[in-house]
Amino acid sequence: MGILRFIIRRLIFMVFLILGVTIMIFFMINAIGDPIDILMAERPGITQEVIDNIKSYYHLDRSLTEQYTLWLWNVVQLDFGTSIIYNQPVGSMLVNWGWETVKIQVPSILISLLLAILFASIASTRQYTKTDFGVMGTALLGRSMPGFFTGILLILIFSYWLGIFPSYGAYSTRSPLMGSLLLDSLWHMTLPVMMLAYFNTATLTLLIRSSMVDVLRQDFIIAARASGLPNRRVVYGHALKNAIIPALTYLAILFGLMLGTAPVTETVFTWPGLGFLYITAIQQLDYPVIMGITLIITLMLVLANLFTDIAYVFIDPRIRLE
Amino acid sequence: MAHHNQQSQALLDVSGLKIHFFTGAGVVQAIDGVEFGLESGETLGLVGESGSGKTISSLALLKLVPRPGKILGGHIRFENDDLIDKSEAEMIRIRGKRIAMIFQNPAFSLNPIYTIGQQLGEIMMWHEKINRGEANDRVTEMLNLVGITDPASRLKQFPHELSGGMKQRVCIARALLCKPLLVLADEPTTNLDVTIQAQILELLSDLKTRFNMAMILVTHDLGVVANMADRITVMYAGRICETATAERIFNNPQHPYTRALLSTIPRVDKSYTNIQSKRLTVVPGRIPNLIHPPTGCRFHPRCVEANGECSRTQPELKTVEEGHVVSCLKR
Ligand SMILES: Nc1ncnc2c1ncn2[C@@H]1O[C@H](COP(=O)(O)OP(=O)(O)O)[C@@H](O)[C@H]1O
Ligand SMILES: [Mg+2]
Repeated sequence: MGILRFIIRRLIFMVFLILGVTIMIFFMINAIGDPIDILMAERPGITQEVIDNIKSYYHLDRSLTEQYTLWLWNVVQLDFGTSIIYNQPVGSMLVNWGWETVKIQVPSILISLLLAILFASIASTRQYTKTDFGVMGTALLGRSMPGFFTGILLILIFSYWLGIFPSYGAYSTRSPLMGSLLLDSLWHMTLPVMMLAYFNTATLTLLIRSSMVDVLRQDFIIAARASGLPNRRVVYGHALKNAIIPALTYLAILFGLMLGTAPVTETVFTWPGLGFLYITAIQQLDYPVIMGITLIITLMLVLANLFTDIAYVFIDPRIRLE
Repeated sequence: MAHHNQQSQALLDVSGLKIHFFTGAGVVQAIDGVEFGLESGETLGLVGESGSGKTISSLALLKLVPRPGKILGGHIRFENDDLIDKSEAEMIRIRGKRIAMIFQNPAFSLNPIYTIGQQLGEIMMWHEKINRGEANDRVTEMLNLVGITDPASRLKQFPHELSGGMKQRVCIARALLCKPLLVLADEPTTNLDVTIQAQILELLSDLKTRFNMAMILVTHDLGVVANMADRITVMYAGRICETATAERIFNNPQHPYTRALLSTIPRVDKSYTNIQSKRLTVVPGRIPNLIHPPTGCRFHPRCVEANGECSRTQPELKTVEEGHVVSCLKR
C-alpha cells in the first residue's frame, strides 16, 4: 500500500522530469543548427527546392513548438521517428545498438560487484596489512586513471603486444572465432568489459571496503563474535549485508549511467553501441536519434533510482517510505 | 591467584594478563599484569572508572581483543584449560556456549537488519546443531524467561522496534541461550533509563541463580555491585588495585583508590538518581595516558597518600588478610 503509492508518486515525477529534459535537449539542438543544412553543405549541386522538400519531410519547416509536440505525440505511440543520417526507424536502432551497449555494460557491472565484494571483504578484514594496502592502491589507481587511458593500455598489452584479443568492433568481419558466433562475440567483448570493469570494481571496492571497516568495528559484530559465530558467518552474514547498503546507491548509478560511460568505451573500441551512436548523432545533429537516446538515458536514471529506493526497503528494515 | 572457598572449584583464574595496543601514536599499555578470578556460581564485580581496562579485560577472556590490541602475556585458566593456548576453532566453541557476554550499549549490539528470531536462532542452531523450528522454540522460551511479553511474536520483530530496556533483555537472552557457565556483563545498565536499570540488575541476579552461572559484573559504579557481587576487584589504569569480598570492600577498603571510589557513592538518604547523574570524579585528575603511564604505582599522581617511593616502585599484590589482596606500598 505505502510502497505502491510511493512508486506512483515517483512515476508521476518521472514524467515531468522526462518532459523537462527532452524539451531542453530539443531546443539546444535547434540552437546549434539544422541537420539538413549540415548534410547539404557537403553537396553543393542541390537546389533550394530539394532542400525545402527534405526539410518538410522531416517537419523541419514547422515551428519549434510544433516540432516538439509532434515528436512527443509520436513517442507516446512508440514511434521515435526516422534517423536523418541512417534513414532507419530510430526505435529499432535503439534496440539494436542498445543491445551492444548492454552486452558490455551489464557483465562488467556484475563482474565488478562480485570482485568488489571479494576484494573489499579481504581488505577490510586485514585492515592496514600489505594485502589491504595492495587492494586499496590498485583500486585508487583504477579510480584515478582516465577510462580511455585504461582502454588504450589494454589494447597496447593484449592486442598489440600479446595479440590475443581484438582491439575494435563487436564481431569479426570475416569468419568468426573458431566458427562460433558466441565465442567470437565474447572474444570481442573481453577488452571493453575489462576497461569498464576496472573502473567500476575500483570504485565499488573502495566504497564497500570503507563501509565494511566501519561495520566491522560496531558492537553488533563484536557481539556476534562473542556469541561464537565463526569468522566467515560474521563477515559475510552479518557485516557484509550491512556494508553493502551504502554501495547500493552507487550500483544503481552505474546501471542508470550506463549510457553516460558508454561513449568513451565505445569510441576507444569502435564498439557499435548507443554511446558510439550518440556521439556520431550529436556531431551530425541527427535529432531523432539524439532525442531517442536522451529519453532512454533519463528513463534509466530515474528507474534505477526508484529501484534502489525500493531495494532499500527490503534490505534495511529501518527504512520506511514516507 | 588463590581462592579460599574450599567448597567450590575455581572456574576462572586470570593471571599476569598483559595487553598492548600498537597505535600510530605509540604503544598503549592498556592492561599490565591484571589478575582476577572467580568460582562456579560466584559473582565478581569488576570496578574502575572509564578507561581503566574493564571492557578490554572482558573481551580478552573471549580472546576478542580488537585490533590493534594484542595479548602479550598471561594465563586465562577456565575449567582447567588455558584459553591462551586455544586456537580460534576451539574458541568459537567456547564463546556463547560456555562464556557469554552482554554489552554496554543494547542499541548497537543487535544486528539492525535481522529479526530477533533470526539472530538469536542462528546462534542456537550453530551451537546446538538443531533446526530452525527447534531453535525458534528455545529462543521463545528464553525470551519468556528474560521477561519479554508475547515472545513468539517478538521473533519477527527487528531491533529498532524494541525499546532500550527490551533490547537489553534480548541481549541477555542471547547471552544465556546455551546456558553458559560464565557470563560477562559489561556495564549492562549504564545506557538504560534509571527506572529500568534496577529491573535489569534484578533480572540478571535471578537468572544467575536459576542457571547457577558465574558472572563478572563490570561497572564504573560501586553502587551497582553493592548488592550483587560476592567479591569485588577494583582496577585502575590497567592494573589491579584491590580484590576482596564485597563486604570487606565496603567496610574495610585498603587501597586509596577504592576509598576514593567509595566516597563518591551517595548515602541511602540521597535519591538513587543522583548516582547516575553524577559523573565519576573520584579525585581531581583522570586516567593517565597509557602510552607513557606513570612510573611506579600508576595511581600515584592522583593519590592523597603518595610519596616519592610510590613514583619509583611498582607495588606487588599482597595479601592483607585471607581473600583480601591489595597493591599499595603503604599497606
Ligand atoms: N582501539 C584502541 N586503541 C588504542 N587503545 C585502546 C583501544 N581500545 C582500548 N584502548 C586502551 O585500553 C584502555 C582500556 O579501555 P577499556 O577496556 O575500554 O576501558 P573501560 O571499559 O574500563 O572503560 C583505554 O584507556 C585505552 O587506553
Ligand atoms: Mg568499557
